[in-house]
Amino acid sequence: MSEIAPIVLNVNGAARHTTALGGDTLLTVIRDQLLLTGAKRGCNQGVCGACTVLVDGRPVRACLSLAGDCQDRRIETIEGLGDRPVMRALQQAFVAAAAFQCGFCTPGMLVAAFALLADSRLPSEADVRRALSGNLCRCTGYKKIVEAVLRAAHALADEAVA
Amino acid sequence: MASNPALFQSPTLTEALDLLAAIPGARPLSGGASLVAMMNAGLVEPAALVSLTRIPELRGIRVTADGGVIIGAATRHNEIAADPRLCGTAAVLPHAAAQIAGMAVRNMGTIGGAIAHADPGLDFPPALAAAGAVVELASAAARRRVPIREFFVDWYATVLTPGEIVIAVHLPKPKPGVGLYLKHARVSGDFAIVSVAVSLARDGEAHVAVGGCGPVPLASAEADGIVSSDLSASALAHAGDLLTALANPVDDVRATADYRRLLIPRMLARALNDCMAASRSVA
Amino acid sequence: MTQSVVGVVGLAAPQLEAAEKVDGSARFIADLNRPGMLYGAVLQSPHAHARILSYDVSRALAIAGVRAVVTGDDVQTNWRMGAFIKDEHALAKGKVRYVGEAVAAIAADSEAVAREAAAAINVVYEELPAALSPHAALKPDAAVIHEELANYIKVFDTGSAGNLCSRTSFREGDIEQGWRDSDLIFEAHYLTQAQAHVSLEPCGALAEIDANGRITLWSANQSVFRVQANVCESLGLPMSRLRCLTPRIGAGFGNKMEPHVQPLAVLLAMKARRPVKLVLSREQDFEMVRARHPFDIRVKTGVKRDGTLVAREVEVLLDGGAFADDSPGVLGYALLMSCGPYRIPHAHCHGRLAYTNKMRFGAFRGFGVPQITFATETQLDEIADALAIDPIELRLKNLKRQGDRWLGGQPIASCGLNECIERVRTASGWNGGRHRAGSAGSRRALGMACSAHISGLLSTGAIIRLLEDGSVLLNTGAVDIGQGSNTVLSQLCAEALRVPLDRVSIASPDTDGSPYNWGTTASRVTYMTGISVLGAAAEVERKIKEHAAEILECSAQDLELVPGGFVAVKGIPHRRVGFAAVSGRAHWAAGGPIIGSHSWVFDQKTVDPKRASVVGLPFPQIGAFVFNAIVVDVEIDETTGKSRVERAWSACDVGRAINPQMVEGQIEGAFVQGLGFALFEEMVWNGPQIANPTLMDYKIPTFIEAPSELYAIIVESNDPGGPFGAKSVGEIGINGVAAAIANAVNAAVGVRLRRLPLTSERVLEAMLASEQK
Repeated sequence: MSEIAPIVLNVNGAARHTTALGGDTLLTVIRDQLLLTGAKRGCNQGVCGACTVLVDGRPVRACLSLAGDCQDRRIETIEGLGDRPVMRALQQAFVAAAAFQCGFCTPGMLVAAFALLADSRLPSEADVRRALSGNLCRCTGYKKIVEAVLRAAHALADEAVA
Repeated sequence: MASNPALFQSPTLTEALDLLAAIPGARPLSGGASLVAMMNAGLVEPAALVSLTRIPELRGIRVTADGGVIIGAATRHNEIAADPRLCGTAAVLPHAAAQIAGMAVRNMGTIGGAIAHADPGLDFPPALAAAGAVVELASAAARRRVPIREFFVDWYATVLTPGEIVIAVHLPKPKPGVGLYLKHARVSGDFAIVSVAVSLARDGEAHVAVGGCGPVPLASAEADGIVSSDLSASALAHAGDLLTALANPVDDVRATADYRRLLIPRMLARALNDCMAASRSVA
Repeated sequence: MTQSVVGVVGLAAPQLEAAEKVDGSARFIADLNRPGMLYGAVLQSPHAHARILSYDVSRALAIAGVRAVVTGDDVQTNWRMGAFIKDEHALAKGKVRYVGEAVAAIAADSEAVAREAAAAINVVYEELPAALSPHAALKPDAAVIHEELANYIKVFDTGSAGNLCSRTSFREGDIEQGWRDSDLIFEAHYLTQAQAHVSLEPCGALAEIDANGRITLWSANQSVFRVQANVCESLGLPMSRLRCLTPRIGAGFGNKMEPHVQPLAVLLAMKARRPVKLVLSREQDFEMVRARHPFDIRVKTGVKRDGTLVAREVEVLLDGGAFADDSPGVLGYALLMSCGPYRIPHAHCHGRLAYTNKMRFGAFRGFGVPQITFATETQLDEIADALAIDPIELRLKNLKRQGDRWLGGQPIASCGLNECIERVRTASGWNGGRHRAGSAGSRRALGMACSAHISGLLSTGAIIRLLEDGSVLLNTGAVDIGQGSNTVLSQLCAEALRVPLDRVSIASPDTDGSPYNWGTTASRVTYMTGISVLGAAAEVERKIKEHAAEILECSAQDLELVPGGFVAVKGIPHRRVGFAAVSGRAHWAAGGPIIGSHSWVFDQKTVDPKRASVVGLPFPQIGAFVFNAIVVDVEIDETTGKSRVERAWSACDVGRAINPQMVEGQIEGAFVQGLGFALFEEMVWNGPQIANPTLMDYKIPTFIEAPSELYAIIVESNDPGGPFGAKSVGEIGINGVAAAIANAVNAAVGVRLRRLPLTSERVLEAMLASEQK
């Protein structure tokens, strides 16, 4: 058995002092201690994608990441990405396209889409579907999410040209 | 109940192996994709976890002087899926890697973790069996290499002994040809009901393996021999029958054992026909 | 009222909650915290059916950080809740009736300690024989699941006896005459599976008690009023002592309409005298809440050689699980819809609902109609094939039209089904032939189905207040579960008062301050609550005009609302006064603050006794029909039997689309949920135990299975009774999906499967069997 140990996490650009048991996941720590509740616990098994956050720029499951194993990593959550042009474009497109209903999956969906657009500026529809296929949505039927991501990609491309 | 293991970060392989040898019940933690999910569900309660993620020598893909490929055990699925050196007959591996779960899980999961976990539904075991991989294992006491077809021994069981971990996967030099992983699952990212892995060299040498149909991937030298010399419908049917005879599938929520047996020859023929079509389009 | 004056009705306005949903700040139940809050955990039953002999909670109480333990001993025997039959305690009392049922609960300083303590409770059981299927439960020698059933409170004539929970029968015409009048009779047996809702948000609740003993309860819910009723019935509390509120809801689909852990959270808070949050794990959400009923269906249809439908008998047997919940309603409603939108003069539709030792089954989008429609709409295709009539032509020949009467006798006020069918027929290229070229190794074809649903049920209300500055506050008590009802109701309010949408705000549902609303369920909010919003707005308008008449020194009859928040003399637009001036006068000088309110209950009779005779009718007043036609283009892989929906067209007659983008969202989402039901979603029981209570093992459609060519088509029949002509859209889009897919599979590979889901295994087996013939 482990003792509660202090750990320092680099979250959204700031060093955050937290405590964790060895088995505590990143999701538990950011939600319960840092009150960053944008990442959701939908299944706690890495299947639904509602807890998706970025670690060192890549989307991962916060529910499958041990907090203690994330020290020295750059952790970014939906709350910390709002200033980035790619996320702003995605958020605007999600609103315009009605790419959410209940909104529970939306933070994880946006973080996964952010990583996609950071990597590939003009993905095809198939690219979007593949990249987001690990994020479940039970409300929308996915069509409007795909439309929103493509719309954001085009808006960003237009901005880059202008 | 939530498990509460101590978590150790090891900067070197030696230290990690020493910790695993010293702490009874300690388990190596790589990407966490399987192990943390099982801990969250209360299915395992390891006494301690030794994280392997910060050990540089376990990361990445290297090509050796003789053209062979070494994949470090802590290499992520997405790195494997995107690596252009895994080409020709070795392309079966990235093709399989790209079909595991979803993007975020592929950013976490590692090849060493996946095969050490030995879930029969995973995609790497049959792909590695078709690719002719050899697994390199290490413990505090020794290192050894085991051909992938001997690595898996039973449901969730491998030849790994307590304190021993997978440190690398060795592939022979890829030959010109095609590699293909045909996966049949209920939905994208699910465990396979049945999967078929094929490496088909332009010189005719072929290796095939089947996943989802028993505790270990199904493969045999005899089946490989048949498909290496003859790709006619009757030969494929014969090879399919040989592999079906090796199968020991179960009924589960995905499908029945009977259906899995039924699919083995059908999917084998489909996969090899797809490979031949791909060869022709390359040529 | 049908014309949009200010353009707010018909506008694709974004959700009012859009900003918080895209920046991560939207707060769902698990995101709420209160000072001094404890965490709850539940001990679940390991047995399907057992008597509880004793509890030993001493080990649990000895664990540091444990603050309260509750068991069945904390509730009285007569404290039972239930929408139709009051048969359920807050947690198991006296016996357990399914594996996974709540037996005890813990409140502790942390979630981990609560779980550890729950596991430390020792319960001594005496196992009883279990009935795990409705067939087994209705056998004369079956173990009785509710010994006190005869004494339970029931809200209609259920006919309960033994393990028979309820029974319902509709008779219209003369069924025996119908068979005699038929040239051909088709009869078959169909099975559908249990489907899990899988709202992405698991259920949870947070209860807080103040020093005076008054309780505040937040929970994942579809009706704060049903939460209030259920908690108070199950805990013996006066309803006035409990205030129910709602955070944002991570979708419902029926799962959150009736209770889950709200009574447990309140019981723990009362015992600990501290706030308690209890959120289920995904596994518990699968095991403890509810699911779509498995149906066992027999359909017999008599038809003339020219395709005229003459007679229909439907017999169903439902697995209700351990508690009645909404099941009697599902049975009755499914039967009401079992002749579909067709003229069938002779009908006998009847069924039974059995208690079993499984988790309760309950409301799930479609409310029994997806199951019934799978049977009846695939049988229609079999009839069309046998008569060599195009399936669409067969349906058109028999379609009910506006003014016709529904089964039972209720008139159909508006019907756009004909247009729905024509729109999907044209869009899909149906007339060019049903078979399509598939990719190598596959076969591909079109299939279609039609269905109907309702929009009006039970009671609701609305209050509109004109604030001092002339802005508008709407309060309806309707919980927005993500579908966008806050936005749509605000649009209706803005349109009625001719103000911009941003001048209207909507209050969060609160049992202390909101007018009653039965719930966000049964596709009823736009229609039912919309009518109340317009009624309340009409009262506000009347009062505004009374004040304006004084200010403008004219008659109120000569005034009209003009866009932008003004009231003006008709024909003289510059003689006007703004809402702020009117409201200021009302607040400070004369008459008092302007408040408009409206409430009503849907009162159109389901049954006209001169036309039909019905036994065991759970919903005596239900109606306002909507319609749907679907065409799907399905490809089947010949190697594995796996079906893939390549394209889909779903046309819904929604009356009027108040927010067309949200209507599309409902149609698209319902389609994909129906696709999962059709092809692979299935809760599997291994004996008494759910074998796949995880998202690893229970799969819902992903981005890959959902067709990229998914076309939502809106048809507007403008219902004369609906708000601006609107009816509903929440459920209609799921009803026909499985039938349409099954019909396409049949067209593509020539096999007729009468059991859902159409797994790759079942399709391949049937294909191979038909090849051997």
